[in-house]
Amino acid sequence: MSRRVLAALVLLLLLIAFPFVASGYLLGVFTIAFYFGVFAMAWDLLFGFAGEVNFGPTFLIGLGAYAAGLLNVRGWPILPAVLAGAVAAVLGGLLLALPALRLRGPYFGLVTLVAVLLLQQVIVIFAGVTGGEIGLSLPDVLSVDARKNYWYALAFMAVSGALLYALSRSPAGLILQAAGQDPVEAQALGFNVAKHKLAAFSISALFSGLAGALMVFYLGTASVDTVVDISVTVQVIIAVVLGGRRTILGGILGAVFLIGVGEVLRPLGQLSTFVVAAIALAVILLFPDGLIGAFGRHRRQA
Amino acid sequence: MTARLVVEGLTKRFGGLVAVRDLSFEIRPGEILGLIGPNGSGKSTAMKLIMGIERPNAGSIRLDGVEIAGWPAHRVARAGVGLVFQHSRPLHRQTALENIKLALLPDSLTRLMADHSVTEQARAIGESVGLGRVLDRYPQTLPFADLRRLELAKAIARNPKLVLVDEPFAGLTSAELADFSRLIAHFRDEGRAVLLVDHNVKGVAALVDRVVALYLGERIAEGTADEVMRDARVRQVYLGGSIEMHARPAQLSEARSLLEVEEVSVFYGKAQALERVSLSVRAGEFVSVVGLNGAGKTTLFNAISGLVPYQGRILWENAPLAGKSAAAIARGGIVQCPETRELFGDMTVQENLNLGGQHQPPAEERKRLRWLFDLFPILEARRDQAARTLSGGEQQMLAIARALMMNPRLLILDEPTLGLAPVILEQLSQALERLRETTPITVLLGEQNVRFALSHADRVYVLEHARIIWEGLPENFAKEAGAAYL
Amino acid sequence: MLALQILIDGFAISALYALGAVGFTLIFGVSGVLNLAHGGLMLIAAVAAWYTAGELHAGQYIGAITGLAFGVLAALLTYFVVVRPIQRSRAIPRDETEIFVLTGTLLWGIMIQEAVAYFFSDNPLTVPALISGVANINRVRVPFNEILVAAISWLSIGLLWLLVNRTRAGKALLACAINPRGLTLLGFELGQLYLLVWLIYGLLVAAAGVLLATFLGTSSGNTGALTASAFSIVVLGGLGSVSGSLIAAYVVGYMETLTAYLVSPQIRTIPSLLLLVLVLYVRPQGLLGRR
Repeated sequence: MSRRVLAALVLLLLLIAFPFVASGYLLGVFTIAFYFGVFAMAWDLLFGFAGEVNFGPTFLIGLGAYAAGLLNVRGWPILPAVLAGAVAAVLGGLLLALPALRLRGPYFGLVTLVAVLLLQQVIVIFAGVTGGEIGLSLPDVLSVDARKNYWYALAFMAVSGALLYALSRSPAGLILQAAGQDPVEAQALGFNVAKHKLAAFSISALFSGLAGALMVFYLGTASVDTVVDISVTVQVIIAVVLGGRRTILGGILGAVFLIGVGEVLRPLGQLSTFVVAAIALAVILLFPDGLIGAFGRHRRQA
Repeated sequence: MTARLVVEGLTKRFGGLVAVRDLSFEIRPGEILGLIGPNGSGKSTAMKLIMGIERPNAGSIRLDGVEIAGWPAHRVARAGVGLVFQHSRPLHRQTALENIKLALLPDSLTRLMADHSVTEQARAIGESVGLGRVLDRYPQTLPFADLRRLELAKAIARNPKLVLVDEPFAGLTSAELADFSRLIAHFRDEGRAVLLVDHNVKGVAALVDRVVALYLGERIAEGTADEVMRDARVRQVYLGGSIEMHARPAQLSEARSLLEVEEVSVFYGKAQALERVSLSVRAGEFVSVVGLNGAGKTTLFNAISGLVPYQGRILWENAPLAGKSAAAIARGGIVQCPETRELFGDMTVQENLNLGGQHQPPAEERKRLRWLFDLFPILEARRDQAARTLSGGEQQMLAIARALMMNPRLLILDEPTLGLAPVILEQLSQALERLRETTPITVLLGEQNVRFALSHADRVYVLEHARIIWEGLPENFAKEAGAAYL
Repeated sequence: MLALQILIDGFAISALYALGAVGFTLIFGVSGVLNLAHGGLMLIAAVAAWYTAGELHAGQYIGAITGLAFGVLAALLTYFVVVRPIQRSRAIPRDETEIFVLTGTLLWGIMIQEAVAYFFSDNPLTVPALISGVANINRVRVPFNEILVAAISWLSIGLLWLLVNRTRAGKALLACAINPRGLTLLGFELGQLYLLVWLIYGLLVAAAGVLLATFLGTSSGNTGALTASAFSIVVLGGLGSVSGSLIAAYVVGYMETLTAYLVSPQIRTIPSLLLLVLVLYVRPQGLLGRR
């Protein structure tokens, strides 16, 4: 068993035991961090592997969240609503990706960014249905117990992480890397690059939507500020860069670090966002390979 | 025996340029066909059309009777066509072994379990091409020849019915060449069809069964290698008219050293592009550096121009160039006209030239412009046209003129004849002659085209695979070093 | 007369949009940077003008000049602290420089936004009109300031055009947008050219910020929308094309004005966003852009 997997398992055990020593408040912070961890891993699959820069992960997250929330308001129980949310995210993602993947360079990123703006506007306009900027209050929640919520989030993150990591190390993941690094060569080797990128986008959308839906059932509300906001995109990208691009599991580390730092700085009030952004900028400039990524680099230079 | 590949009436246009015109040929299984032509003859385009990387405007391509023209590349690959690109393109974040494994994988979305047999197979293939000891290393740590072996390994892994190989021997030493020839011959012996694309008939003569010679997109000769080399049209087109050597007017020859390159080495990652290269250029000399693709000419020139870092010393007028910015070196008198020309395509000829003359006082600039228009009259005629609408030869002249606007002491020309028809070569040759006769300019010329390089040189260096292997006078070249060149 | 009101207001708003967009496309075309801190830079110029004019009681003219100065400073700071280190970094592979610059400027913009909100105010800020009074055009009341905004915007764009097409430095900038390597080979120091273009960009974006403050006002919460509108216009017009940005700015400006007056101010950005999506699908290089 590789060292990485062993380390991950040890960490997992520690995390499982955590609620027995931590306050409800702290557990809440980690719960959000875990959901962000899944957002980050899903994004890394698309960026690190398929080589596509998605500036609107919050589009997929928001679709999943609002679809699940709206159905729940109409009486759907949690589980079907969450699954429907995931499906909505995948469908929305395909609608976005099918034409967008034909674009090169910064255009793909820009299309994804525009998708976010549009979704925000749609939600605000149809405020009667969606609750607009105030948000949508959900009748059901996953649980009122902080510990249970924590374990749900942890379990979801662990399973998602395992699946996404396995995918990244699989032959399918290798093909995806080729598609992202050198599409012409990948084609010459017989791989339908468009098909693989689309699949990667769908998987990214699936996990983003699932995580988004589950997160709103934890929070009890769905609002534009929490799930369809540029700050979500920024946090996701930072989390991946901090943890290390192309590592999948690094996204979890980055998310926990980021959310953790945000909480630690909360007493600073308004200035906390400033400080987090400043720290993130410093990391980008000084440690672009992130925490886990730095190890990978040494291997390659040997 | 029925043909494996039948190409008929293949045509491809890029805007107004016809790259391939009504091309027809066939390849039988167990045969190696050489598709030969100078740069710009359409041979690489023809190869890309067969592979599906470009789509033809007209014509048919049949693989074992199945029409594949216009198919996307991945479909052509799955139909049994393998391509070895001219420039190695490994995945840099994967080991050599993983690169080969990739080539063995089917195009499936659902393969989640790693297959042990695939790894075994990849290892076996890697060993068969001679990569056995480096399979677990990353491409940037591998030498040039091993990267080429990796490309062959990937091709073998695909088990193709037809193998397309672009410039198989570019950048290889004679020892490596023998090795690669053996591997390619092995393809043929296994019953596959092989298409070799190259610019040098003699280089592949020993390997190919038949040759099709191309020029400006059309087939001009076909037959065995010997027959094609003797063909009158081929000789005329490839070798051009007689380019005479002119003696340098005595009063312009000075003995003062202008440029000294001392033990210069350049590394791109772990790959060595130049190995302890030394050369010198005296004021007023025309020095040619002869070498094939990948030999290191461009790297050498980029080191002199300050565009890549290097080890060793480069002295200009006895002062080291180290530490100066590339722009400062250019302003200091060393002006390079690179292989890629780097013109400002959307700006007019006049604007391109003006930018060249930016650092000159206005009166001097006007004088130089007048002189250059005399040297290259076609540029004056096209002065208000956008640079990218000019033909290849005109663009080359513009690039050289623009460099000359800077009033260089040393003009570095990197492959100026690339892709040019012999008629243009003549004009270029005459322009260089006039420069030689009427100005004290010093020129460092890098060329694959040996004839062109020799006829404009006072001294010649030969660069092969990152090292200088010969230095001497042009008249001694043929008997001492000319073995590998046509 | 509603039609005339729409025509005039639309013209002024579009002119201001154009000023912002032209700067954005200039810095992309020449320097290769999609500056997501664009709105933040406008904010700095606006805040400096507001503070000097209002809190320091120096009046709007001193305020405007101070705003310009601080805007230019902020732009240069963006280049030296964020953009240049990323572009020069050896640790970042070449093909990922763009996304790092994008993320870096995004973070920088957030930092600016939060700092301004914290140290100054997160309420809407305005600067007193540079020319007070209202003109009466065919029974439509148009503030003189609004006319001035349009005039200054067009003047600035005109000066930029002159610079690029008629001066040597300008031609060098144009060449830099086409082929920076070619310029190095011709002895131009790219560093100096980049400095020049960021300086010009700083002037343009600062002017846009100050004018915005006198015209409609701005706030720290607005920076995202400002950046979004600038790059929407630039993408619509074609990344790197100044004339494209100009035309697109007018298209977007009038679409917004029409929507705001005829339908509802709330949804005024929707039609232009939809147009943007359409253009991105059908002709991703924009109206006048090149592939």
